[in-house]
Amino acid sequence: MSQADLAAAVDVTRQTINAVERERYDPSIELAFKLAAHFDCRIEDLFDPELNGVGTDHDD
Amino acid sequence: MTQTETTGRRRFTKRRRYRRVMWGFVFGGVAIGLALRSLGYPFIGEAVYWIGAIGFLAVWRGTSLTLFDERDKALEQRAATTTLALSAPIFVVGASAARILTWTDIYTVPTVVWGALYGYVALFATFGVVVTWLRYRR
Repeated sequence: MSQADLAAAVDVTRQTINAVERERYDPSIELAFKLAAHFDCRIEDLFDPELNGVGTDHDD
Repeated sequence: MTQTETTGRRRFTKRRRYRRVMWGFVFGGVAIGLALRSLGYPFIGEAVYWIGAIGFLAVWRGTSLTLFDERDKALEQRAATTTLALSAPIFVVGASAARILTWTDIYTVPTVVWGALYGYVALFATFGVVVTWLRYRR
């Protein structure tokens, strides 16, 4: 599937898909859900949030 | 290709075409307007300029398609913030320099420079009003 096809499927520009792929743009929650729905997977399967220290056990 | 993909592809192509037409209106209007003015047809040039501006608005507001997506909006926000961040030091230094030069009679600051500085004041005041409105709107 080309970037243009994916862009058309989730209603954004091809440049936006390109920027997301190259990790130069973080998509909105809405777009992330659309992409996950398109690929029939979870958002976490597509994106790695790199949450340093959030939701992990650490010493205070 | 599924029906959904075909519809999406059609919408994608249409959006790209609309965006080109929209920018064509505004840049074409300005360029042809300037050319006509320089050729000695100021009123026709002004009319073409307005056709470009109205054409831009008509395409932008007249279509149900989303011509600018979320990344375009994010880029605009970053560009606006960067523009203000660059403008602020120019204004602060420029206004101070203009006042000091005037008080010390070293240099008479031209009226056009004062006009530009008041333009900066208007820009930052507008920004402040808009930010306040956005912060407190329901």
